[in-house]
Amino acid sequence: MEGKLPISEGSEGLAEAERPEGTRAPARKGEALGRRDMNVAVLKTKAEQALSERFAGVAEQLPGGADVLEVRRRALGRFEALGLPHRRIEAWKYTDLRNLMKDALPPILDDEVSVSAADLAAALGPLSEIDADRLVFVDGAFRPELSQLDANNDVAGSPLGAALNDKGDTAAADLLRLDGRDDDAMLALNTAYATDGVVLAVAKNTKLDRPVLVVFARAGDEPHFAAARNVVSVGDGASATLIEAHVTLPGAAKQAQTSTVTELAVGEGAAVTHVKWTVEAGNAMHLAHWLVDVGAGADYRAFQLTCGAALARNGLTVTFKGEGAKIDLSGTFLARGSQHVDTTLLVDHAVPACVSRELFKGVLEDTARGVFQGKVIVRPDAQKTDGKQMAQVLMLSPDAEFDSKPELEIYADDVVCGHGSTSADLDEGLLFYCRSRGIPEAQARALLIESFIGEAIAKVEREDVREALTLLARQWLDHAAQA
Amino acid sequence: MLEIKDLHVKIAEEGREILKGLSLKLPKGEVHAIMGPNGSGKSTLAYVLAGREDYEVTKGDILWNGASLLDMEPEERAAAGVFLAFQYPIEIPGVASLTFLRTALNAVRKERGEPELTTPDFMKRVKEKAGKLGIDMEMLKRPVNVGFSGGEKKRSEILQMEVLEPTLCVLDETDSGLDIDALRIVADGVNAMRAKDRAMLVITHYQRLLNYIVPDKVHVMVDGRIQKSGGPELAQQLEQSGYAEYQGKAA
Repeated sequence: MEGKLPISEGSEGLAEAERPEGTRAPARKGEALGRRDMNVAVLKTKAEQALSERFAGVAEQLPGGADVLEVRRRALGRFEALGLPHRRIEAWKYTDLRNLMKDALPPILDDEVSVSAADLAAALGPLSEIDADRLVFVDGAFRPELSQLDANNDVAGSPLGAALNDKGDTAAADLLRLDGRDDDAMLALNTAYATDGVVLAVAKNTKLDRPVLVVFARAGDEPHFAAARNVVSVGDGASATLIEAHVTLPGAAKQAQTSTVTELAVGEGAAVTHVKWTVEAGNAMHLAHWLVDVGAGADYRAFQLTCGAALARNGLTVTFKGEGAKIDLSGTFLARGSQHVDTTLLVDHAVPACVSRELFKGVLEDTARGVFQGKVIVRPDAQKTDGKQMAQVLMLSPDAEFDSKPELEIYADDVVCGHGSTSADLDEGLLFYCRSRGIPEAQARALLIESFIGEAIAKVEREDVREALTLLARQWLDHAAQA
Repeated sequence: MLEIKDLHVKIAEEGREILKGLSLKLPKGEVHAIMGPNGSGKSTLAYVLAGREDYEVTKGDILWNGASLLDMEPEERAAAGVFLAFQYPIEIPGVASLTFLRTALNAVRKERGEPELTTPDFMKRVKEKAGKLGIDMEMLKRPVNVGFSGGEKKRSEILQMEVLEPTLCVLDETDSGLDIDALRIVADGVNAMRAKDRAMLVITHYQRLLNYIVPDKVHVMVDGRIQKSGGPELAQQLEQSGYAEYQGKAA
């Protein structure tokens, strides 16, 4: 059993059977010794060693004073203790980073590569049409000349790099510190190396009409590792749309490793639309994690579009902090060739009477691999919880693979929770129906795939964003997005 | 003229033969009915005419205007004028009915060498035909057949047929699941399409539909073959005597 499920309906945590030991060829010598869960000498991988050793070389140049550096050092220590996550860590079961990240690229501080507005617009594609306040980061550093902040707006967005340097030492250290997340190696790695990102605080009761677009662009032709951190809060009763875009400029190095962590606090009664646009290219490894706290009565809507990276991992941890809040997490992932795209959710119903909805749709071609893990925890006193989850994938090739693992951990008794997962090729009956009406096969396929993804995109309420997402998906389907 | 010659068809996967030497001639300008009991192969015939891949034609031919349909893909058949109104219309989540109609119409017009319709012309054509079928334009903004009642689905099939203007209409059990009012609306739609350059094949289990769509000829199909052909009065006889006499004959 190779764990491939070309067609499955309503799977419940059975997407991949555990491989018997010994059926998978060892990735490299020494793996057996290197397993963290065995109480034997821990052998560092080449990548782990590089990530650990290179820190000393850049530590003094990373933004922040002594307290910040101390936070970074401690985080690096955690990373060294934990090592890269591997398949025996449940949250990384299908994305064995220890195995997949053969080597670490050198960290980047700022390469000062020249980027024109036109290049940036081309990389953003349909997203560049959206009227938004913009903060642009190129290869890990803020670029004021490419950014536009409306002076009349209430957006208090500023680059993290500057904030780490300018704020008092303690306050700066607080910006970077991630309390209670000591067990996550990748968050620790991000803390150690983060160079820049956005610090944004939307004031109480402020309604932002224009979205805030935060762009992370790869441009330099030297392969590198870049880490970004965003720290966002939306005050009580405020509303905002935040779009995070990760794109590749023409001429950028094919190889890249990026780590992004976004911390978002949604205030009581606030309404936030949060979009992640990941349209990578080349042999990029994209590792992202959103940590979201949702206040009482708030409405949080997230959408993540992911394509183009050789390996993309989207972690999304959402914790209900107050009663009566609603979240809607949705997204679409598109992968072809040997691309690997992993969406791992953790929804924590820590308080009663909250509603969560998740809908993720994937399209997999060639030998691409999609991963969806959706864990929903309903704490003992989180009564009246209403949670629904669905992950659906179109497998356009018999060699594609989809691993789906919904997990419900319910400790309360008065709740409504459900989940489902499907993966299948395009329905022949649907295809025949379209063709019998005169629609040629290729066009019928495109129409059906687009409508499949469209169900998820429809969750985005802003029409301009929905249109940009639809256009990008169409470009991907036309293969045009693959430069 | 539709000419089906000694058609033998089996289900591709199981190898079971469903049509066992079916022959039929349907001239343009005429409406023929095919009546038969369940399992006689009526729906198989409909699907084979439209080009569904689950069936394998082992012998015989289907000629439409002298050209063999068997060499054509389903979309080529549609462009050549073939239209099948499905017994069970398919739901297409995420595709609005109007988008679907327009995509299909433009595709067949392109194949037929006709220019695409402008948006106002297209909307005018749809509105007019939808109105007669009692179809609300709001309904057409919804995904194809999703959440439609049985009657709405059948009316939506007839609307597609009217918009695409095929020359060979095959209606597979269009009366099933319709109440008497819906039946009348659908029948009116079909009757309005009767024309001298159009051939229509109405497949049904019951005689009821033929009170509203009066055929020029009735064919009795049992066990994959036409057992008897006659005028409209044959349908009345069948209503009285049932199919037993033919089933005995087939066995």
